[in-house]
Amino acid sequence: MGTSVQVTPLCGVYNENPLSYLVSIDGFNFLVDCGWNDHFDPSFLQPLARVASTIDAVLLSHPDTLHLGALPYAMKQLGLSAPVYSTEPVYRLGLLTMYDQYLSRKQVSEFDLFTLDDIDSAFQNVTRLTYSQNYHLFGKGEGIVIAPHVAGHLLGGTVWKITKDGEDVIYAVDFNHRKERLLNGTVLESFVRPAVLITDAYNALNNQPSRRQRDQEFLDVILKTLRGDGNVLLPVDTAGRVLELMLILEQYWTQHHLNYPIFFLTYVASSTIDYVKSFLEWMSDSIAKSFEHTRDNAFLLKHVTLLISKSELEKVPDGPKIVLASMASLEAGFSHDIFVEWATDAKNLVLFSERGQFATLARMLQADPPPKAVKVTMSKRVPLVGEELAAYEEEQERIKKEEALKASLSKEEEMKASRGSDNKLGDPMVIDTTTPPASSDVAVPHVGGLRDILIDGFVPPSTSVAPMFPFYENSSEWDDFGEVINPEDYVIKDEDMDQATMQVGDDLNGKLDEGAASLIFDTTPSKVISNELTVQVKCMLVYMDFEGRSDGRSIKSILSHVAPLKLVLVHGSAEATEHLKQHCLKHVCPHVYAPQIGETIDVTSDLCAYKVQLSEKLMSNVLFKKLGDYEVAWVDAEVGKTESGSLSLLPLSTPPPSHDTVFVGDIKMADFKQFLASKGIQVEFSGGALRCGEYVTLRKVGDASQKGGGAIIQQIVMEGPLCDEYYKIREYLYSQYYLL
Amino acid sequence: MASTGPPQSLKRPDSSLTREGDQLIITPLGAGNEVGRSCVYMSYKGKTILFDCGIHPAYSGMAALPYFDEIDPSTIDVLLVTHFHLDHAASLPYFLEKTTFKGRVFMTHATKAIYKLLLSDYVKVSKVSVEDMLYDEQDILRSMDKIEVIDFHQTLEVNGIRFWCYTAGHVLGAAMFMVDIAGVRVLYTGDYSREEDRHLRAAEIPQFSPDICIIESTYGVQLHQPRHVREKRFTDVIHSTISQGGRVLIPAFALGRAQELLLILDEYWSNHPELHNIPIYYASPLAKRCMAVYQTYINSMNERIRNQFANSNPFDFKHISPLKSIENFNDVGPSVVMASPSGLQSGLSRQLFDMWCSDKKNACVIPGYVVEGTLAKTIINEPKEVTLMNGLTAPLNMQVHYISFSAHADFAQTSTFLKELMPPNIILVHGEANEMGRLKQKLITQFSDRNTKIISPKNCQSVEMYFNSEKMAKTIGRLAEKTPGVGETVSGLLVKKGFTYQIMAPDDLHVFSQLSTANVTQRITIPYTGAFGVIKHRLKQIYESVESLPDEESEVPAFRVHERVTVKHESEKHISLHWTSDPISDMVSDSIVALVLNISREIPKVVVESEAIKTEEENGKKAEKVIHALLVSLFGDVKLGENGNLVISVDGNVAHLDKQSGNVESENEGLKERVRVAFQRIQNAVKPIPLSVS
Repeated sequence: MGTSVQVTPLCGVYNENPLSYLVSIDGFNFLVDCGWNDHFDPSFLQPLARVASTIDAVLLSHPDTLHLGALPYAMKQLGLSAPVYSTEPVYRLGLLTMYDQYLSRKQVSEFDLFTLDDIDSAFQNVTRLTYSQNYHLFGKGEGIVIAPHVAGHLLGGTVWKITKDGEDVIYAVDFNHRKERLLNGTVLESFVRPAVLITDAYNALNNQPSRRQRDQEFLDVILKTLRGDGNVLLPVDTAGRVLELMLILEQYWTQHHLNYPIFFLTYVASSTIDYVKSFLEWMSDSIAKSFEHTRDNAFLLKHVTLLISKSELEKVPDGPKIVLASMASLEAGFSHDIFVEWATDAKNLVLFSERGQFATLARMLQADPPPKAVKVTMSKRVPLVGEELAAYEEEQERIKKEEALKASLSKEEEMKASRGSDNKLGDPMVIDTTTPPASSDVAVPHVGGLRDILIDGFVPPSTSVAPMFPFYENSSEWDDFGEVINPEDYVIKDEDMDQATMQVGDDLNGKLDEGAASLIFDTTPSKVISNELTVQVKCMLVYMDFEGRSDGRSIKSILSHVAPLKLVLVHGSAEATEHLKQHCLKHVCPHVYAPQIGETIDVTSDLCAYKVQLSEKLMSNVLFKKLGDYEVAWVDAEVGKTESGSLSLLPLSTPPPSHDTVFVGDIKMADFKQFLASKGIQVEFSGGALRCGEYVTLRKVGDASQKGGGAIIQQIVMEGPLCDEYYKIREYLYSQYYLL
Repeated sequence: MASTGPPQSLKRPDSSLTREGDQLIITPLGAGNEVGRSCVYMSYKGKTILFDCGIHPAYSGMAALPYFDEIDPSTIDVLLVTHFHLDHAASLPYFLEKTTFKGRVFMTHATKAIYKLLLSDYVKVSKVSVEDMLYDEQDILRSMDKIEVIDFHQTLEVNGIRFWCYTAGHVLGAAMFMVDIAGVRVLYTGDYSREEDRHLRAAEIPQFSPDICIIESTYGVQLHQPRHVREKRFTDVIHSTISQGGRVLIPAFALGRAQELLLILDEYWSNHPELHNIPIYYASPLAKRCMAVYQTYINSMNERIRNQFANSNPFDFKHISPLKSIENFNDVGPSVVMASPSGLQSGLSRQLFDMWCSDKKNACVIPGYVVEGTLAKTIINEPKEVTLMNGLTAPLNMQVHYISFSAHADFAQTSTFLKELMPPNIILVHGEANEMGRLKQKLITQFSDRNTKIISPKNCQSVEMYFNSEKMAKTIGRLAEKTPGVGETVSGLLVKKGFTYQIMAPDDLHVFSQLSTANVTQRITIPYTGAFGVIKHRLKQIYESVESLPDEESEVPAFRVHERVTVKHESEKHISLHWTSDPISDMVSDSIVALVLNISREIPKVVVESEAIKTEEENGKKAEKVIHALLVSLFGDVKLGENGNLVISVDGNVAHLDKQSGNVESENEGLKERVRVAFQRIQNAVKPIPLSVS
């Protein structure tokens, strides 16, 4: 029997909610993607919470909120503790995306689902892989190999291939087959006949115009606004599709020597670009090539200014400009604030480059026709003043006192305990190392700390009988050569010269932008005040698809090319999922599943297999025929056993039984027509058949369009009267096949 | 298992066909018992790989190339380049552009980016005559288009050769390649270092143990001092020299280790404000151009340097100024100059050496491995006099210090690396004969308890090994519904892709591969005006099974011959044949066609019979001739003896064959038996089958 495979969606089926699925392979539970939406609604995570503790590994596919947003929360609150695997860009840009989300949220609300530290610790145990790296799991997952492959869409975006015993389970969501400026197209099409393919139906009903046309429209509408003295707002993600948009703008600005300023505004803008600069290996071939030839990093942006706070933007002189601001949903973040400011001016343009998440402001504005006015909540973090400040300080004081009291109590307790152990060691001078260093905790008042130190070493252990100052007897040993020494004491320690510099700048915090840092470390008491207001939407609203996902038509053709044995559909509106399901049932394979949330489907392949050894004797008699990448031969063999007990195939001792002849090969009528023509035979298509010469006709019946049926054996019918030509054509036809 | 034969040309087709497939050959075309021009050829199961493609820095022109004429470049499938150093990559443009090579080339991203800069510089700097030039700038540019990139750990497959690479330390982008052909794994380390330094990671230890490890042995059995000791010696020498008013020359290769030294110097200067008025010059325009590369590929460097990037670019040196050429150099007081080339062969480092070598206040710090035959190697032994570039001799008074920072593994690293990997076969390359010999001896003692083969082939000396590759096939699909027991038969399609085998039923072919099967149905119409029953009657005399088909299935009378071909009486004037193509059915249909045509022709049968009688004799003669011809083709010397006997002589043994009875007489039993069997078989084939009375 094949490997057992079960899929359980935890979120994001029959709708466009965040993605999160449980894939269990022979009892090893993978959580593929761990997404959340821009509302951070914990109700989405209910199914995940139930299974979080049983998960053995987490695979992340894209660096955006929908694919990894819930990771910090799940790690902290839901008991998820499995190792995480992702590519380097997904790790790094995902981290920055989460920072940006947190900081945007924190600015406008008392956000307490997770903290920056939680983000850091969640991303701490991410194992980073490169594309097509075969990573062998160990322990419980022994025998399973995972490998990320190029998905397109976002930088570092991954199609995961999970292999066990030669059977592939492929998870491919949000892939893009088209090559873009930033990224290469997906390699999904290079996988053929995987046992299971899990893919999304998100774009099943969408069709895209050509890239050239779309880019041109995009630039036209932007330039029109700018020339009309308006501002352009592009609500974007933190570190995903925005990179492609920046490259488009940058390239166009350079080509046409434009000098309208472009701003990229997120809390992590400059670190994002810094990191992106070092991810050239992950980008498209043309970017890599241009770097090799000119050493110009594509992300040494000449026209885009990186901003990390809105005050910097306000300093910019008035005039038409483009601002790419996070978040794409307009729910919070800089894009939200700028939208509120600019929406009332008809000259301005808000250009959405991706479909807004469900029930967000962006989605509302993308409706047709767009709303005349929208209600928004303006929130602002303001420092506390007057009475509130006093009350806050009082509260803080009280908390501090309580903590101090608690701390000192626990200290004393610990001290007692450590005294006890000290006593056993008989060395009262050992300074208690079990006490955690108090200095890092600001809440602990200094007095407490001081008292601890005073107590250390000078308070006699309560259990000792006769308290005394510590005294050590000098008991050095001597032998014939003098004092016995320990040579190790005299070895020059291998002190690491780097040690000092190693400490500088923790990997994560060091990379945070100063502005953002000031926000984190800003301890001034503050509060959030909100007021609702209605914004008259007068500005122009445009939506253009720059999502970088394959469109419906391409998805269908890719799926029928990949032709999985079993197909699981997730993530996409109910209609899209149903549509794609019906399509695939007809044209791709008979086993198409679209499970509901929490519904476990078993996609274990009904494939049988066993291994045999091919004996040298047998192989020396086998004549292979080459067919493209493959070599094919017919074997008749007898089963024997090797010394190690495994099965082996030996040559038959009796004459082989006859078998039905197999024609191997795939003939394309058009190709064959050319072939015949080159042999000097008149050929033409008429009425679905190929007329060869004067009388003979060739027809293909029941051709590949019926792929779903399982058997796709080509049926070729050849008809004609008895004549020389008939035999000649038959010979040519046979020459296109391998007869075995 | 392994043997080193005498040097033999690899071009010659191997005569030992029997085991050829399992024979693995490794031949160093360079770097065999020497340092420089790394190039190792490997072939197994008809797949051929070349590791590295360097030049020998001590030679110039064609003499510097590896022995490419030993191989046929057109047969090489994959060429893997470990890092950008000249002795590992510099003959690549030549090999790609001036030979018949048509395989694929791979290197890491950083290596490729620096490769171009480095080689363009090499072409410009090397002052050789035009005919000695191996290639020019254009060749390098063209070669760039052919080079493909591979990322660390990324697994690629070309023609069934699977390979991936690991971090090797040494320099930015340096890789160790693991190659897997049909389950046999070979690791080629290139230059590697297991010690983490200021910017590079230590070499990884591969997850899987290879069957063969081709390993560098540059430092043989030497042991490196701990890094901080070396760094201290280095800075102390420089500090004391300049405080005495001397000048320090550091001849170093422009890229790679130089960056490490600059990091050390820059940091030392920052910590010693009293030195701030002493200039450090770095004479390499190349390095500046490479900075972009160093800044981009930080992901190939270690955590330490990546953390520093967070604050500022560590490669943006504060105390080091560039120096374009000796003309721009104002030699007025103490200074530190780092200049290339590292071997002091020519160029700026040599010019400065000539200027400074006779003053004992000055110092020359040689910071890395020096190749045999270069001036740098000579002065390490501190001779009294040296020959200057202008041919004069001058006393060598300057202090010469040799402090190695070259990131090659020392004995401790090599031995732990091999202990971890436990390869059953070790091949030493990239080391001087003496060092290599010592290393070999020491490793042999160390691994004496295991059955480890350690070989150090010379250039062009082939190492041959045999691997019993066990071919495993996976039977899948319908064929595998039941696992067969011993003695049962399995019949199906054996499909080979790369080195994986699958056995499947023909119906499953399209399921498990991209191949498909087809059925060809044929329908042929033959003009026939006679009675349909006649055909059936005639056919019944030939075929056992001629069955009429029930009428309801087809409106016209029809019958099926040999359960394969359907004959239909389409109309008064036509009959048609239907069948599904396969050799037997085609034959049956042909016979039916012939029969039908014969009937239509209505030729009297008498003619045929009388003809048959006449030819009886002729047939007999013909058979004789055929028998004779076949025997000649089998045994060679066949003569006609007396009484119509045949005399067959093979290697001095003679056999007499009686054609009538088939008796054979011979003194040699083997020959007798063989002739007898052969004759019997020929007889069976040629003579008509005796018809039993029916």
